[in-house]
Amino acid sequence: MRRASKTTARLLRRFWRGLREWCGDSAYESYLRSPHTRSGACPTLTREEFYVEQLNRRYSRPNRCC
Amino acid sequence: MKRALKIVVWMVVALLGAGAFAKIAFDRGEPLNATWFVVAAVCCYLVAYRLYSAFVAAKVLTLDDTRATPAERHDDGRDFVPTNRWVLFGHHFAAIAGPGPLVGPTLAAQFGYLPGTLWLIAGAAFAGCVQDFVILFCSIRRDGKSLGQMAREEVSERGGFIAQLAVLAIITILLAVIGLVVVNALKSSPWATFTLAMTVPIALLLGLYLRFVRPGRVLEASIMGVALVLFVVVAGQWVADSPSWSRVFTLSGVALAFAIIAYGFAASALPVWLLLAPRDYLSAFIKAGAIFSLAVGILFVRPQILMPPLTRFIDGAGPVFAGKIFPFCFITIACGAISGFHSLISSGTTPKMILRESHARFIGYGAMLLESFVGVMAMVAACAMPPGVYFAINSPPSIVGGAGEAAASTISSWGYSLQAQTMTDLAHKVGEMTLWNRAGGAPSLAVGMAQIFSSTIGGDRLLSIWYHFAIMFEALFILTVLDAGTRVGRFMVQDLGGRVWKPFGRTGWMPGVLISSAIIVALWGYFLYQGVVDPLGGINSLWPLFGISNQLLAAVALVVATTILMKMGRMRWIWVTLLPMVGIVTITMTASYQKIFDANPRLGFLANAKDLARQIHEGIVPAAKIAETQRQIFNYRLDAAVTAILAVMILVLIVEALVHWYAILTRRQESVLHESPYVATQWAADYSGAAHGDD
Repeated sequence: MRRASKTTARLLRRFWRGLREWCGDSAYESYLRSPHTRSGACPTLTREEFYVEQLNRRYSRPNRCC
Repeated sequence: MKRALKIVVWMVVALLGAGAFAKIAFDRGEPLNATWFVVAAVCCYLVAYRLYSAFVAAKVLTLDDTRATPAERHDDGRDFVPTNRWVLFGHHFAAIAGPGPLVGPTLAAQFGYLPGTLWLIAGAAFAGCVQDFVILFCSIRRDGKSLGQMAREEVSERGGFIAQLAVLAIITILLAVIGLVVVNALKSSPWATFTLAMTVPIALLLGLYLRFVRPGRVLEASIMGVALVLFVVVAGQWVADSPSWSRVFTLSGVALAFAIIAYGFAASALPVWLLLAPRDYLSAFIKAGAIFSLAVGILFVRPQILMPPLTRFIDGAGPVFAGKIFPFCFITIACGAISGFHSLISSGTTPKMILRESHARFIGYGAMLLESFVGVMAMVAACAMPPGVYFAINSPPSIVGGAGEAAASTISSWGYSLQAQTMTDLAHKVGEMTLWNRAGGAPSLAVGMAQIFSSTIGGDRLLSIWYHFAIMFEALFILTVLDAGTRVGRFMVQDLGGRVWKPFGRTGWMPGVLISSAIIVALWGYFLYQGVVDPLGGINSLWPLFGISNQLLAAVALVVATTILMKMGRMRWIWVTLLPMVGIVTITMTASYQKIFDANPRLGFLANAKDLARQIHEGIVPAAKIAETQRQIFNYRLDAAVTAILAVMILVLIVEALVHWYAILTRRQESVLHESPYVATQWAADYSGAAHGDD
């Protein structure tokens, strides 16, 4: 019983993380974790800056199909 | 032992699929149950994925997991982000699944359920999935380069230029035709118009929230947005019931067309965070929810298929659009079987996020199989309604003789019995003023979906809510494609203009933004307006044009794929992309020829223009309508010219490719493959993106 609840909790956690990643909710966290950001080669963007910059990039190329 | 068991299981799956397929193809008795469609499709997809995609992965592409992908080499947390394969599958599917696989099969149902279903399943397995998979692989091996860049490098400069033109052509025609689908869905429907109109302020609200209140918190904002959208679906009924508000939201086709054009312009010119992105978030969640619900609903309700396997309209005289099964079934169902537009996604975002080369099979081939399944579900929803009702909703007034008794009698004379009262009752039940002459696929699909949903929850009492939910779902994500497409088109216009005058190319320069937005909106807006005022319903002209331009892009993608396979020395397996390419080119060229030159005025653009000119000359057209008829003549000639340009582009591309292939095969030209150099992966074999939040 305890094992089943643990497995369920783990699956739910995975699903939640996947959902956040899918919809872009965790994009800023991924950005902070990336080697490029951690290398400090460029100034790190704030959450607001990253959000706007990311949208401008994403919607300047085909990203929705027919 | 384990291996033997696996073989037995796969044999059972294959036999089950073959049996279900045989039932669909040869059964001529009682109406079929939709379960047969689901079983046939799912079993065929499983076998195709297990065998054919594995063969393509192992023998044709020889995917190499020891090779670092662009996501590993350039991981910058922005474009190049190593992503768990399930998440990336969701991303990729959300990007490729638009209105095409829903509307195309619904329109193609006029031939009966059989041709469309066969093409959806076989076309996806042997052409569409292969195209998506191979292009994704090619782009991964080239640091995520776009289709245009790959065409330029691997085929020729001209090939790249044609790819660019094809993208602009497809964007223009696609946006016009999907705009027309929305117009026909909202025309004279205050409930649906109100619901869709309210999604704009909801998106603005979300945009402000995500920008200033809780930046980037997409999930919580989307949940609020979806709740608000569901609320306005219900609130639409109050608007429809109020005589004064109902008048405000009852709009004609032309008024709706101008509203959509204005919206497209605003979405392109306004900052992306304010309107476009939040609408996209809303649309993604509602799209995923509605498609999942439709699949569950079909499995739960198991509706009877009332449409015959083949209708009398296989002769080419169909009321929804003119033309025989070959080539028009294959042109009408583009997305869902093979769609050139997908190659832009497969060579854009996805290759920059993939963890390993082997994931390309699951994401490229697998996501397209799922899209094909969406097409099969749309076919089921369209064919589960009585054929008479289907033709009443989808036929233009000029074909069926208006609405009411006269139209019912015409449709009954085709052999699909229909009472005018049936349509009145159905319109009343779904909360619409009328369901006659609503060509475009969206209303008939919404009726089909609403009947399936209401059989699961709520019965007839909730039919109107489900209908308007389905209309909102279709219109919402159609508009998302429309605004995102307009913005991409704007960038392309700015890019072209920037070559002539540099400041115009600066994406932040406001006059440039406004002028380029106006140009791209005027391009698709003209075709949209033309479709709205077309007496043959617009869909008859525009949907085949869209299919042709989409397949032109598929031809570009398959030429690039074939060239790369040739350069990789995989001549033995070249047929994997070459045969779909030959098929697509044959289909597209035949359709183009018929759309331009066929003597039937409903099919051939030039014959239609000539017929109208004759009517003016013989004095059949009333004096008050002469100017309007002359405009129609111009429009049909313009459509013929656009089709001819697309056909010429295909011919130039094929000649270009043949010359290039001949040079490679005869060793007159050095075969240079523009792959990124091999870099060994540093990730452990079982790494699945743990560093990025997936344990």
